[in-house]
Amino acid sequence: MITIRELRKEFIVTNGKVAALKRLDLDVDEGEFFVIVGASGSGKTTLLRCVAGLETPNGGEIRIADRTVFGDDPPVWVPPQDRNFGMVFQSYAVWPHLTVFDNVALPLREGAQKIPRQQVDDRVRNALHMVQLDEQTDRPSTLLSGGQQQRVALARAIAVNPRVLLMDEPLSNLDARLREDVRGRIRDLAKQLGATVLYVTHDQIEAMAMADKIALMSLGELLQYGSPTDLYRSPNCTEVAEFFGSVNWLPGRRVEDNLVETRIGRFRPSSDADPGTDVFVGFRPECIQYAEPSEEEGDNTFEARLTSSIFLGDQFVYDATAGDIPLTGKSRAVPTTQGGMLSLRVAPEDVMVFAADEKNTAFVDSVGKQG
Amino acid sequence: MEAVLRRPLLRALRPKTSPWMLGLAVVPMFVIAVLVAVLVWISFQTGMLGTADATYTIRNYYEILADPFVAEVTYNTLIFTVATTVVALAIGLPIAWLTERTTLPYKGLVYTIMTLGLLIPGIYTAMGWTFLAHQRIGFLNRWLVSIFGLETGPINIATPVGMGFVQGLSLAALAFILTAQMFRAMNPSLEEAAKIHGMSFFATMRRVTLPLAFPAILAAVIYMATIAIATFDIPAIIGLGNRVYMLSTFVYLKTNPGDDEFPEHGITAALGVLMIGVAVLLTWWYSSVLRQGHRYEVVTGKGYRPTLIDLGNWGLVGWSFIGLYILASKLIPLLLIAYVAMTPYLAPPSWAMLNRASFAAFHNVDWSLVWRGLENTVLLVAVVPTVTLVVAFAISWLIVRSASRYRYALEFGAFLPHALPEVILAIAALLVSLFVLKNFIPLYGSVWLIAIVYMVSRLAFATRALNSSLLQIHKELEEAAYTAGLSAVRTSWRILVPLLRPTLLSVWIWSAILVYRELTVAVFLISHDNITLPAVIWSYWFSGATNLAAAVTLVLTAVLTPLILVFWWFGRRSLMPES
Repeated sequence: MITIRELRKEFIVTNGKVAALKRLDLDVDEGEFFVIVGASGSGKTTLLRCVAGLETPNGGEIRIADRTVFGDDPPVWVPPQDRNFGMVFQSYAVWPHLTVFDNVALPLREGAQKIPRQQVDDRVRNALHMVQLDEQTDRPSTLLSGGQQQRVALARAIAVNPRVLLMDEPLSNLDARLREDVRGRIRDLAKQLGATVLYVTHDQIEAMAMADKIALMSLGELLQYGSPTDLYRSPNCTEVAEFFGSVNWLPGRRVEDNLVETRIGRFRPSSDADPGTDVFVGFRPECIQYAEPSEEEGDNTFEARLTSSIFLGDQFVYDATAGDIPLTGKSRAVPTTQGGMLSLRVAPEDVMVFAADEKNTAFVDSVGKQG
Repeated sequence: MEAVLRRPLLRALRPKTSPWMLGLAVVPMFVIAVLVAVLVWISFQTGMLGTADATYTIRNYYEILADPFVAEVTYNTLIFTVATTVVALAIGLPIAWLTERTTLPYKGLVYTIMTLGLLIPGIYTAMGWTFLAHQRIGFLNRWLVSIFGLETGPINIATPVGMGFVQGLSLAALAFILTAQMFRAMNPSLEEAAKIHGMSFFATMRRVTLPLAFPAILAAVIYMATIAIATFDIPAIIGLGNRVYMLSTFVYLKTNPGDDEFPEHGITAALGVLMIGVAVLLTWWYSSVLRQGHRYEVVTGKGYRPTLIDLGNWGLVGWSFIGLYILASKLIPLLLIAYVAMTPYLAPPSWAMLNRASFAAFHNVDWSLVWRGLENTVLLVAVVPTVTLVVAFAISWLIVRSASRYRYALEFGAFLPHALPEVILAIAALLVSLFVLKNFIPLYGSVWLIAIVYMVSRLAFATRALNSSLLQIHKELEEAAYTAGLSAVRTSWRILVPLLRPTLLSVWIWSAILVYRELTVAVFLISHDNITLPAVIWSYWFSGATNLAAAVTLVLTAVLTPLILVFWWFGRRSLMPES
């Protein structure tokens, strides 16, 4: 549905150029809820705005449903009003001088589609009904709450029956509880309409909750994209691993295939892709299990001294030191010690191994501390 | 529709450029470029100007630099400019401080008075002060002579200092507006810190407040000096009849010499080029001072609530000062104009004179002339602000919203008219109509020639006012319209224009009033058919018929007052544009 090839975008700043997108490739399938996630400054919003036609890339190609909307050879650029999208903006961009109804109706009446007058009314009411704003139809938009404005923006975006819906951090201005409620509804709505969604957020929980596929961006590049479980369980670098949750890291040496030696013992991942000799071993706090007495001597097990433990209701979060390396663990069972020591193990499929190269090291400067 | 854009300019300005907007923005840039280019071109010519037979020379420049009369005029202008800024600042700065930093009562009223004060033309003050302080006929002088038995009047308003005083009275309102903004933006905790550490009120003022305010004050001084150097109306009303010349009136003399001499357009053009140079330098200095000012912590976007200094009974003194200013700059001149219009000859007010008051002058006014002037003026007032607004909107939109590097060129081009004195624009327009367009577009003597110059000269202000308003409108409000399928023009019409309405309205009215009262350009470009109402006043005044001039001034006021009231009505509900 959306195909992006070698997309480049540079911004001119006072002391030169900054590359916001570096030869980026991306494929989004029809009907997919695709979330682009990344820290601020990663280029995710720039990417979305390039797709929308609000920024002009410096090179590359963007195709939407086999129609090139931007390309440099031959030069093609389709203005945003002719791309046929719905978009929800971070600020909602609800037009303050119009009523709720007119906000949704204006694109239908005066947009590229030029919907016949008698249909406009139906389409607007239908869209407002879908976002449960039937009661607010004739109110001035400035009198709405943040959540209601957000829904007006959503109604406006879906009213044009777009094949692609673009959303730029649409939930970031809502309070936390409302956000959880709304994100479920947005996903349901998109699925109901069968629209392809390109959704930008900085919040990894939001991304995982909503996405069919997630792409993680950093410094203008796509680090990895795939299903939420792929990115969480099989990250391809330490940066991706860290982004989606904390990780305990240990420096180690890879002595043979699927075997790494560390200061606290030997670890066997279920697989590794020969990252070289110097490596980092990582596992997430919730992947640490209490070892059965029979397992205590094998690989993937280690002893750690319990330093503190907090009970959060649904789980215990505890800090421990294995040798000189501090670790964090989570479990539903009480951490029970023998002589102050915990016996722990990590399942092979939960062990991540990455080359200790410069790039990976940059994101495990917390080695020794918890992730 | 796949738009294939190959041309570099369009390519650079996309994606948000509509050809409509670009066209609207480029036309005035072209006009400005032509005006400046022709001025420069003519300044290097002698003989048959503007034809193939013209001789190219730098003698025009040489003559100006060598002419002792030009030196004297330049010296006059310098004194005049210094006097103007000193007087304007001495009045405007204290009033700004009183309204922003003390418990002065009725502050809203001060703002209303000062803003409306900006709109009352300088010629009122100039005429009033001529009646008051002309060395021979001025009422003050006549009284002083008769009381003290003097030979001649002790006060002479027709000197560079005297005219500077009158111009300063007229610009004090601007000084107020420029410095009040500065006081409002100043972080009061800087002053509070000084007080807490034991500094007295005056020590704080001298060591903290004023040094912090210095960049803004300096910027205001440069801004006003740029205006004063090339201002025409007050030096013309007071000085021209008394043979005291400024650069602007000297230029007028060169283009409109007596019957037995020829206009020296080459010399005028060369002087114009030099004046543009000075004005551009001053403007550059102004913006660099402003930039430096922003480096201080003083100007922050936050809404501080400064602790106000309790004036107590001194509030009365503050209002007396403001009252005195209003009397001297607006009320007394206006009353004297009315008095002169109603009395048969110039004599100090007395019972005897008031008993002879009548409307006789109104019978002697050539009403067909006044009517023609009013017609032209109304035409200008209807057309100029509207066109200026449309063009300024297009320019502003491109400057604020486009990501192209060309937008800086546009910004510079739109700001340029601010640096080009109206006198020079008028001269340039005159030269263009005389030497370039004469054979195919007969603009000379047409009201449209005046209209074009007005549009160019109002452009800088309109663009700046729209820029700041447009910046406050979230970009996404527009982008939402594009992604929803609205074209750029439609988006402007349905989204931006409604949101900008308060600004558009006040810029329109503001421009309309300035066009209505404008004298300079009209005086340079008038002929029989395109005379404007202020130019009618000017021609009566210049021919010595002061009571007829005063009478027409009252007619002008009768139309001006409702316009000002309309502005005040809308202006108080929206952001007041700075001049």
